[in-house]
Amino acid sequence: MENLSEQAYAYLLLAPAFALLVVIAFWPLFEALRMSFFADDVLGGGKLGEFTGLTNYVQLLTNNNALAPATFLDPSFEVPILQQALFMTLLFAIITVVGETLLGFAYAMLMKKDFRGRRWVRVLIILPWSIPIVIQGMIFFLMFRPGFGLLTEPLQQLGIFSSIPLNTTFDGFVIVTVTDIWKTSAFMALLILAGLESVNQDLYEVADVMGASTWQRFRYITFPLVFPALMVAMLFRTMGALRVYGVIESTSVGCTTLPSMTCLVTQLMFGSSALYGSAAAASVLIAVVVGLFISVYLVFIRRSDQELGPA
Amino acid sequence: MSIDAQDHPDSETYDEDEDEDRTRIQQWARDWIEHPNKAYAVMGVFGAGVLLTTTLFPLYWLFAVAMTPPGQSDIPLIPATFDFSAFIVIFQRIPFARYMFNSLFYAVSVTLIVLVVGSLAGYAFGRLRFKGKKVLLFSLLLISFFPPATLFLPLFQAFNQQIKMLGLFTLPVEIYQTPAAVITPISAFAMPLAIFILTTFYSQIPDGLEDAARIEGTTRLGALFRVVVPLSAPGVATAGILTFITTYVEFFFSFLMTGDQASEWAPIVNGVLAFQTRYTVRYDLQAAASLVAIIPVAILVVVAQEKIISGLTQGALKE
Repeated sequence: MENLSEQAYAYLLLAPAFALLVVIAFWPLFEALRMSFFADDVLGGGKLGEFTGLTNYVQLLTNNNALAPATFLDPSFEVPILQQALFMTLLFAIITVVGETLLGFAYAMLMKKDFRGRRWVRVLIILPWSIPIVIQGMIFFLMFRPGFGLLTEPLQQLGIFSSIPLNTTFDGFVIVTVTDIWKTSAFMALLILAGLESVNQDLYEVADVMGASTWQRFRYITFPLVFPALMVAMLFRTMGALRVYGVIESTSVGCTTLPSMTCLVTQLMFGSSALYGSAAAASVLIAVVVGLFISVYLVFIRRSDQELGPA
Repeated sequence: MSIDAQDHPDSETYDEDEDEDRTRIQQWARDWIEHPNKAYAVMGVFGAGVLLTTTLFPLYWLFAVAMTPPGQSDIPLIPATFDFSAFIVIFQRIPFARYMFNSLFYAVSVTLIVLVVGSLAGYAFGRLRFKGKKVLLFSLLLISFFPPATLFLPLFQAFNQQIKMLGLFTLPVEIYQTPAAVITPISAFAMPLAIFILTTFYSQIPDGLEDAARIEGTTRLGALFRVVVPLSAPGVATAGILTFITTYVEFFFSFLMTGDQASEWAPIVNGVLAFQTRYTVRYDLQAAASLVAIIPVAILVVVAQEKIISGLTQGALKE
């Protein structure tokens, strides 16, 4: 090891990390792709049938698979489950990421201020993020339990929720969204705070000398300089929101009431019949959707980098 | 006359009060404009109040539910009696302590693996020059964005049988329902963030310190673990704490890669859900179990919030 060149030594040090990532990430991705071209073997207990090319994808997109779970959003079974899952997940991602960004920005500004008791305010901001997902779900499950939960009756009397909010798609969606915003705004705040701290403080002194208002300081200094960090933070959170699963299960709303993209895979795998071919096709489609999102963000981040570059 | 006499002073005092109010508000406004710090202080108190309600209330609600005797469906906001028996019963009904142990075991194992493997990679990225650095760093980032659902089916199948991975090696035994089935995937997903943090910290250590150790005859790996890592202690602590919390709160693999029983290495995910599904009306137990399971991470956050924040702000986003 002592006689290796710098380059060879670097590769040696990287080997364990990349070995793990190959086994856990790259190999399963290609294996899922391979499996998606084979038919479901319902009788074989989750093994694969014969090679069928793109049939699984066509079935998923057109809802042609009679064995796939049908109890998703639209019981009339006219909208393909894939579209239902996609619609639900994208809506969830947009609402939570926007909500978490706004709340996270406010938290980050608060965390940046120096005041007495800041330590405990910071603890309070971070705490929800460190609570296990299963317990976050449990808290909101207990709040919305029919005939018992603190919020069930008031919201029902206002006509917003039904009497069994945890089993109603719209109410369940709201509950899961609120749960997610509650738990993840803190992480967003941490990432945005990182951006805020990296802003050169001299700029604010210059702004003061030039008589800039608070709004102008935010509009022309804070926001543009935090923007790249903000994009990275939103990218992280979007990827997190697109995999939503834990809060759906642990609030007991469940995958049949609220099908997310991740639910699509587990429902196909562990539903009434183990449809491994279809599940593999769904896995690949999820990867495609996530890939599209990443590309869009990367374009944005690159553009903001270039704008800042010459200045 | 008497009525007039009574009315008049009354309305006068009322007007005076209003005037006083108005001038007081104006004074405040003027005061705040002249001393914006006072306004910030008031905003800070208001913000802290909002935080208290949003963060602490859900936890207090758990406490109130845990205090309520079983069978009672009306939860008083201020508990009528303080009955802590639920906190004991949860350990008697199911082996909740074992569930807790399993979760902590996962969190510690993943943290150790990520810190050791991540340190090697972070050292290479932060301090060595080699071809393809950018591509490798980028592919690392890409992996952290992989949706676990995409990888789940092949992994689940692989863990359930002796399978040839990549056609190169065969897994010795079924690893489903063993700690490895949870620890390996979570390590892989927690690795990229840790490597980013460690890379930044390791790259800031002056070359001279490492060279000095090397001249004194330390091996290359020795220089990494005896010079670079200790000097980057804050960064290593941050990466470790973040990994620990990430693993402890994880749901997807913890839920799907384990059985239900504590003896099958099921973590608190299954322990807490066991109360939700098996003791459906014992809300006190559900709440008590949740509160107990929060304790380890709550302590960690109170003790280490400084590290979490400073490490992230100095490390993660500098790249």
